[in-house]
Amino acid sequence: MAGLRQLVLTAAERRRRRTLAAAGRGLLFGVTAVAAVAVLLIIVFIARDALPFFRLRGFAEFFTTSGWYPSREPAQFGALAIFAGSALVTAGAALVAVPLGVAAATCLSDVLPFGVRQVVKPVIEILAAIPSVAFGFFALIVLAPWFQAHGAATGTNALNAAIILGIMALPTVVSVSEDALQAAGRELREGSYALGATRAETMLRVVLPAASSGIWAAALLGIMRALGETMVVLMASGNAAQIPHPWYDLTQPVRTLTATIASDMGEAEHVTGAERYAVLFAMGLCLLLFSFACNLLGERIVARERRRLRGA
Amino acid sequence: MGLRTRRLLDRAFAAAGLFAVGLMAVVLLLVLGPIFARGAGAYVFRGTIEHRRFLLEQFGRGDAARVAAETAAAAAARAPAFALLSRFEETRDDLPPARRRELLADFREVRKGVSELLGPAPGAPALLPRNAYGQTRWDRARVKLDRVLRRQTWDYSGGVGRPVHTPREELYAGTALAPLFPLLRDGIEAMLLPRTTFYAGFLTDRSLDAHFFGGIGPEVLGTVWLTLGAMLLAVPFGVIAAIYFQEYTREGRVVLFLRSCVSTLAGVPSIVFGLFGLAFFINTLHVSPGKSVLAGALTLALLVLPTVIRASEEAIRAVPQAYKEAALALGAGRWHTVLTVILPAALPGILTGIVISMGRAAGETAPIIFTAAVSVGAAPGLLELFDRSTPALPWNIYNIATEHAAADEIRHVQYGMVATLVAIVLALNLAAIVLRARVARKLRG
Repeated sequence: MAGLRQLVLTAAERRRRRTLAAAGRGLLFGVTAVAAVAVLLIIVFIARDALPFFRLRGFAEFFTTSGWYPSREPAQFGALAIFAGSALVTAGAALVAVPLGVAAATCLSDVLPFGVRQVVKPVIEILAAIPSVAFGFFALIVLAPWFQAHGAATGTNALNAAIILGIMALPTVVSVSEDALQAAGRELREGSYALGATRAETMLRVVLPAASSGIWAAALLGIMRALGETMVVLMASGNAAQIPHPWYDLTQPVRTLTATIASDMGEAEHVTGAERYAVLFAMGLCLLLFSFACNLLGERIVARERRRLRGA
Repeated sequence: MGLRTRRLLDRAFAAAGLFAVGLMAVVLLLVLGPIFARGAGAYVFRGTIEHRRFLLEQFGRGDAARVAAETAAAAAARAPAFALLSRFEETRDDLPPARRRELLADFREVRKGVSELLGPAPGAPALLPRNAYGQTRWDRARVKLDRVLRRQTWDYSGGVGRPVHTPREELYAGTALAPLFPLLRDGIEAMLLPRTTFYAGFLTDRSLDAHFFGGIGPEVLGTVWLTLGAMLLAVPFGVIAAIYFQEYTREGRVVLFLRSCVSTLAGVPSIVFGLFGLAFFINTLHVSPGKSVLAGALTLALLVLPTVIRASEEAIRAVPQAYKEAALALGAGRWHTVLTVILPAALPGILTGIVISMGRAAGETAPIIFTAAVSVGAAPGLLELFDRSTPALPWNIYNIATEHAAADEIRHVQYGMVATLVAIVLALNLAAIVLRARVARKLRG
C-alpha cells in the first residue's frame, strides 16, 4: 500500500539511517559543545590580553602595592586597594544577603502557607529581574543623598554599594537555599516533630544542618553575584582607589575591580597592547579565576553532599 | 529549657523569617516606587508653550494654528520683561560706579536665567536647541524662576558651605530692572502657559542637544536590536543543547564536563563577558570594525545561553514521560518524537525561559560597554546592525546620570529612561510568570 513504510530495511538503508542518526547526534553534540568552547575561549582570550601586563610589570607591584595611577608618567599599577575594595564591598553584601536570604528561605519553605508562598515567589523573581543599572541609579540618586543627609562624608561609599549588592544577591541566596531546604525532605522534619521539637528547633538543629551544603552553595553564588556586579559599584561605591582607614569603615568610598575595568577601558580602549589596556584584562582574569574557583567549590560541595546522602 | 521559652524562641524564629520576607517586599516597593512615580513624570507633566512649540518645529506635531496663537500670546506677556532687560542695559551707565560694579556681573546671570526660562529674547541668535527654547516643563521652569528671583551665594563661615539667598528685587531696588522680578513672579503662567501634557513621543522621539529635549527613541530601539539579536543567536543553541542533554545522552564524563561548563559560563562576571567580546569578537574575529550591534548581540547571547539551556531543560523534563513513550510505541523515531511530541509540549515552558532571558539581555550594561554602546547618536537601521554601534537604555542611563554635564537638569529624562527599562523588563517577567502559571495548570490537567 502506498504510504505505508517498509518495515524490513535493506542493509544499505539501515546503514544509511545509522549514519544519519550518528551525524545528527554529532551535530547536536557540536552545538551543545558551544558552551564549553565559549568557556575555553573566554579563558584563553582574557589570559592572552592579560599576560603582556604581567610580563612587563611582574606580579609584585600589581598584588602588593596600592598606588593606582595608570595615566601618570611613570605609571603605577598597584591594585591592592582595588582588590581590598572588591573584598570589602562583597563581604558587606554577603553580610546583608546571607542571613536575610536564609531566614527568608526558611520562612518560605516551612513557615508560610502555600497560598502566601505563591505570592512571595514572584516578588523575589521581580527583585531578581530588575536590571543592575536601575539599582545603581537608585543607589546614586536616592540612597546616596540620603546617606549624605545622615552624616556620611560622601553618599557614594562602600556601605551604599554593599547594601544594594546585598539586595541584588538576595534572590539568588533565597531561591538556592530554599531548594536545599526543600530537598532535605519531609522525613527529617516529621521525625524531629515526633520527638517533640518545636519548629524553630527542627529547622535550626535538624533541617539547616542537613541542608548546610546547599546553604553554602547559596552563599557562594550570592557572593559571586556581588563580586561580579559592575554597574552598582561603578555608580555607588565612590570609585576612590584607597583602602579605608580603619579597614572596616564602610562609610568611605572604595573602588572595585569591576568598576575599574568598566571606567578605565574607555580611556585605554584604543591602545591595544599597552599596559593600561592589559592591566584591565589582568583584573578580568582575577575575577574570572575567582568565579571559577567558587563554581568548582560549589560543585564539590553539592557532589559530596549527594554522595553522603546516597551513602546514608 | 522551659516550654514557655521554647515557644517564645519558636515565635521569634518565625518572626525573623517573616521579617526577612517582608523586608524584601518593602525593598522592592522602595526601589520601584520612586522609579515609577518619577519616571511617569517624563511622560505626563505640565508642559509649557515652549514644549508645544518645540514639538511643532522639530517633529511637526501639534496644532500649528493653536501653537502660533499661544506663542503670540506668550510673546505679548513676555514683551515687558525683555523690555525691562534692555532698559536696564541702556541705563546701566547712569548708576554710581560702585553699584554698577556690584550689579553688572549679577546682571549677566539674570539675563542668562531669563533666556533659559523663557527662551531667547526676540531677535537674539540661538546656536543650540538649548538656547532656542525656554523651559519645556513647568517644574523645571519653577526652579529656573527661583534662580532668577533670588541670588544664591555661599557662606563658608561654618567650615561647610551653606547657600544664602538674597531676593534680587531688593538687590536691584531703585534701578530700571527692579520691576522685572515681581513681573516674572506674577506673570510667569501667562508667559509659559503650562498645561497638563501627555508626551507619548518620549518613548519614540530622538533626543536633541544631549537629552535636554525630546525623548529616548534611539535608546529604546538600540535595546530592542541588541535583545532580539542576542535571543536570535542564543535560542537555537540553547534549545538544541537542552534537547541533547535531556534526550540524547546519559550522564557520563563528557556530559558532566559539558554541564559544568554551562554552570561555569553562568558564573562568569558580566564585565568579563564585555572584555571577552572586545578581545575576541572585535579585536580577533573582526566581526565589525569597532563596536557594533552584532558584537554586542554575540556577547549578550553568550551571557544568556546558560539561562536558556537551563530553562529549556526544565521545560523538556516537565513533559510527562507517557507522551514520549506513546510516541515511541506508535513507531516514531527518536528525532520524530522530539520534534513532533516533546518540543510542542515543552514549548510554553521554553518560551517562559526565553522571555526571562530577554529581560536579562535587555537590562545588562557591562557586556555592551565595550562591544556595542555609545552615548549619543541615532540607532542603526536594519542594514547597519553589523557595523554600527548603538545607544542603548542601560548604558545611557549610566551615562546621563553620571557623565552628563548637566545631570541635575535632566533628572526627569533619567527617571523616565530607568522607568522605561524597568517597565520593559518587568513586563517580560510578568509575561513569563503568567505563561508559567498557565503551563502548570495545563500539565496538572
